[in-house]
Amino acid sequence: MKTEIPTSSTGHLDRFNLARAVQMLGPFLVLAFVIGFFAVIMPSEISQTFFSAYNFKLILTQTVIVAIGSLGMTMIIVSGGIDLSVGSVVALTSVLGAVLIKAGVSMGAMIVAVLATGGMIGLINGTIISLFRMTPFIVTLGMLGIARGLAKKLADNQTVNLPDIALPSVGMFMADPAPNGYYVAPGIAIAIDLAIIMALVLNRSVFGRYIFAIGSNEATARLCGVRTRLVKLSVYMLSGVFFGLAGLMQFSRLRQGDPSTAVGIELDMIAAVVIGGASLNGGTGSIMGSMIGALTMAVLRSGSTQIDWPNYVQEIIIGVVIILAVGLDKWRQSRSQS
Amino acid sequence: MIVPRLRIVEVRKSFGATQALRQVSLSVGPGEVHALIGENGAGKSTLMKILSAAHLQDSGDIQLDGNFYAPRTPQAARSAGVAMIYQELSLVPHLSVEENILLGSEPRQWGWIDRKERRRRAVSALEQLHQSHLPLDAPVHQLPIARQQMVEIARALIGSPRVLIMDEPTSSLSKEDTKVLFKVILRLRDRGVSIIYISHFLEECLELATHYTVLRDGESVGTGRMKREALPEITRLMVGRELNEIYPHTPHAIGAPLLEVTQLKGVKKPLNVSFKLRSGEILGIAGIVGAGRTETLRALFGLDPQIGGDVKLRGICCNRLPPRAWLQRRVGYLSENRKEEGLMLHRNIGDNLFLSNYRPCISGGFIKQRRQESLAARWISLLGIKARHPSQNLHELSGGNQQKVALGRLLHHDAEILLLDEPTRGIDVGSKSQIYKTMGELAAKGKSVVFISSYLPELLGVCDTIGVMCRGTLSALRPASEWTEQDIVAAAIGQNEN
Amino acid sequence: MKPFFLRLVVILGCLICTVPATGAGKNLTIAVIPKGTSHEFWKSIHAGAVKAKRELEDQGYKINLIWKGPIREDDRDQQIAVVENFIARRVDGIVLAPLDSSALVAPVETALSVNIPVVIVDSGLKSDRYSSYIATDNYHGGELGAEHLAKIINGIGKIILVRYQVGSASTEEREAGFMNTMTNKYPRIKILSQNQYAGPTRDSAYKAAQDLLNRYGKDVNGIFAPCEPVTIGVMLALRDMGKAGGIVKLVGFDAGTQSVDGLSKGDVQGLVVQNPMKMGYLGVKAIVDVAQKKKVVKKVDTGVHVITKENMDQMENRELLHPPLDQYLK
Repeated sequence: MKTEIPTSSTGHLDRFNLARAVQMLGPFLVLAFVIGFFAVIMPSEISQTFFSAYNFKLILTQTVIVAIGSLGMTMIIVSGGIDLSVGSVVALTSVLGAVLIKAGVSMGAMIVAVLATGGMIGLINGTIISLFRMTPFIVTLGMLGIARGLAKKLADNQTVNLPDIALPSVGMFMADPAPNGYYVAPGIAIAIDLAIIMALVLNRSVFGRYIFAIGSNEATARLCGVRTRLVKLSVYMLSGVFFGLAGLMQFSRLRQGDPSTAVGIELDMIAAVVIGGASLNGGTGSIMGSMIGALTMAVLRSGSTQIDWPNYVQEIIIGVVIILAVGLDKWRQSRSQS
Repeated sequence: MIVPRLRIVEVRKSFGATQALRQVSLSVGPGEVHALIGENGAGKSTLMKILSAAHLQDSGDIQLDGNFYAPRTPQAARSAGVAMIYQELSLVPHLSVEENILLGSEPRQWGWIDRKERRRRAVSALEQLHQSHLPLDAPVHQLPIARQQMVEIARALIGSPRVLIMDEPTSSLSKEDTKVLFKVILRLRDRGVSIIYISHFLEECLELATHYTVLRDGESVGTGRMKREALPEITRLMVGRELNEIYPHTPHAIGAPLLEVTQLKGVKKPLNVSFKLRSGEILGIAGIVGAGRTETLRALFGLDPQIGGDVKLRGICCNRLPPRAWLQRRVGYLSENRKEEGLMLHRNIGDNLFLSNYRPCISGGFIKQRRQESLAARWISLLGIKARHPSQNLHELSGGNQQKVALGRLLHHDAEILLLDEPTRGIDVGSKSQIYKTMGELAAKGKSVVFISSYLPELLGVCDTIGVMCRGTLSALRPASEWTEQDIVAAAIGQNEN
Repeated sequence: MKPFFLRLVVILGCLICTVPATGAGKNLTIAVIPKGTSHEFWKSIHAGAVKAKRELEDQGYKINLIWKGPIREDDRDQQIAVVENFIARRVDGIVLAPLDSSALVAPVETALSVNIPVVIVDSGLKSDRYSSYIATDNYHGGELGAEHLAKIINGIGKIILVRYQVGSASTEEREAGFMNTMTNKYPRIKILSQNQYAGPTRDSAYKAAQDLLNRYGKDVNGIFAPCEPVTIGVMLALRDMGKAGGIVKLVGFDAGTQSVDGLSKGDVQGLVVQNPMKMGYLGVKAIVDVAQKKKVVKKVDTGVHVITKENMDQMENRELLHPPLDQYLK
């Protein structure tokens, strides 16, 4: 039987990879567009400070919480799920951190407890979703209420304030160590390091490929011997740890435990992941894209604040950018297919 | 000269750089069944999409009863009298038979659905097909696939079509159901409907069609009257070369039993299945759709619960193992439903090949993209998969090539036992032959294959041993040489074998 | 003499540097950051700030006034982000009404560390490095509210305190003033409930009030609401139950269109009113003074008054109830 053997001549190969690369660049294009847009419309005296190293650091700091949460959210969305409870988990873990520090627990023990609590909630979500086969949307919607309620209970319905002596160490993660220098807040470094690790895990590890496989076609993954329940459980649990870390960063930023904080932050994360090229149907998405998506939204917020736009303009613009970014992605995909 | 019902003159269509249709001409007379034959990727579906207004041709004319035909929307195509029946049924699973038949053309009164009129029209459409026994109020997903197809045809009849185009209508039907379908088609033909019949089964085309057109690489390369003598010529035109042996035979020796299944029982089906699979054996399982063949493999492979019976692999009891454990024991399963269970259409070829076993792609604890691509490239050339690049997404490949990837996964996994459920359904002759050849080569290496098919010639052509399933029970196995098609059909429909 | 000298220095400075020196010039960008933007209270602060801007511009200053609240009105994180963004923009001064007395400390100190003066208005901040704190004496406001409520129920009966929100310093002080006065001075008044929070919006306050009245509606004689949304929420709930119009006495805080309307209709028996316009006005002025290196008073009380239906038409009270917003905000 004679069949055509694919001729992977180098020219052909390069063109193919080029097309892939362009597709990967999508989120960057959106970010570049947003930055370019501000560069054009900003009066020079504002753009001078907007395009400064200080403001760049500032925007990064403002991205940290959403970025760390997006690491977990990317995994979940790639696996075909969703998590709506992130805002509440962030509030709960930040309150927990404050309560522990107030009670005299050491920083190290507090961090462990906060991360473990995040992981624990993820484990509960994951268990219900994978063992009882309930829709992630519903399960995490329930957890949204539960965790928020627990946070309020734990905080005794008020903000948990710390003794002054504890503030510097708590605030260290998100504080700019040198406002005029090039060092950045430790939170930024942590977020970037974790993003690199997660990008490797998602793209280059078998666990990562299994996540993609489950999001693409769960039945197929099962058929191929992937322990789908275990993988899903791990995804939610690991993501929970990231959400706990986001809670730690929130705590560090506010330097108090606030049970009403981070309402709706999960929507920012979902938006970041989607701007980054993921599909809510699962099976596609990238850490790099999500990080750029989170950064895009922070740049938009910062830019529109500094340019004196009223809040409603800012909200409308962010909404438009989300739809445009995803629309652009769809359009590119349909072009690349035909 | 009579005006043809449908006349397609030198139609061309390109998508970007690829020419899907180079030059296609076709002429169908009134009340004629015209077979449109070609391998997957030859341009049949593009041509269909142009006729149903999903695409617009770049150049060329289409005439319907002598009039210029250029519908803008699928609705317009339907009201002009051109109806389609796609290979993948397009029914709404949770709506009833009646609702599905009149979906999109509900009789209306003051904006409300006229339920009486709807029922009347649904009943008359089914009557034309002699299918009045279908339950009008049942949700279609409760019907077997063959009945669902009748619903689909009934829907096509609502607009009193002049041309009916059917794409692989028998690919998921058993022989029995196929016969019923043929009767329906001939009945429609007698009423003056022109039918374009797209199929890979040349035998079927011979039975139904009066004329044929062969499409190859987007070009109509031959047309003529359908008769038995034309078959070799058609095959030659299709593949563009002589196809001496559709069923290439690789000599292989049968060894000791590997897998022993005794009185296997699932939830509803199978009821009682026993067989021994020996190394180097290709075991065929025939039967009509719904006899429990798929269910047997699923219960065996741990995808559905095993209620009773014993499964032994190399003499060791292996009851109720999950798929993962089977794969660890080098037993692999290929689903009949490759799109829903078997392939990740939005992942690349490499990921689809290696999902069950990434080990060869790993170095230093991480999967190396380069290594994955070069390994995938090897399988691509080994299996003759037509693809541009190992990292191409699977949905960009044709059905036959997708199936080769699915099979490639089992080969990559180096499975000792391959459970193949309808591996050749809906794919072109070239790909089929490639798969038969692979099966033979596997057997020659001492591996064993269970091969489920509804297409008897391939079972007879490829298998060493054949068993027939009927109502959840597997008949005694006999060497393929002792079966005839008639025997198998008789056993499949439960007639006494002697 | 002094202004002239200063002007001379500035002009010389400009000639030498060719760029206007920030902070010391007459060209100032001032950011005013309220807790929210939709309540009338904040609009009054805005109007006051605009009033100051116009006066200053008549004196030859050039003021760029930026009015920007957090997107989510009860989100501390968002307000921190707004402050940070203005630090990045290197404005010449920030007038801030902090959403939280602790959470906003860090960004305010960052601003001070890069020499951006900050004036705190309305609510306190747990720091003393800011330039000036211009606010109502909220504790005193709570005391006044308690006295007035006690007076109109004749010193005997059952009352409810509907608290506003966790962590809001100004309302907590009012609540404390109210509670202390009630428990210490009026032993014959029983407090039925004092631990329910109304939440940030009129809607959440409305719901909370409905729930409370559902439970205590039969017994209650008087209610104290520590701010505008709570006042309105309670008023609406009382109207729903047919207990408005003085059957249950309501003493609220702050003047808004709806609460003033309630006052004139007799559904609200008294409003403790602050002077938000004065806060905005003095806040902007204080920033300019700091920029001019003038000495500013560290703590300024803008005063509170109880306004009832009887005295609401007096000239000075009219100004407090109906701040001339249109005059300043187009």
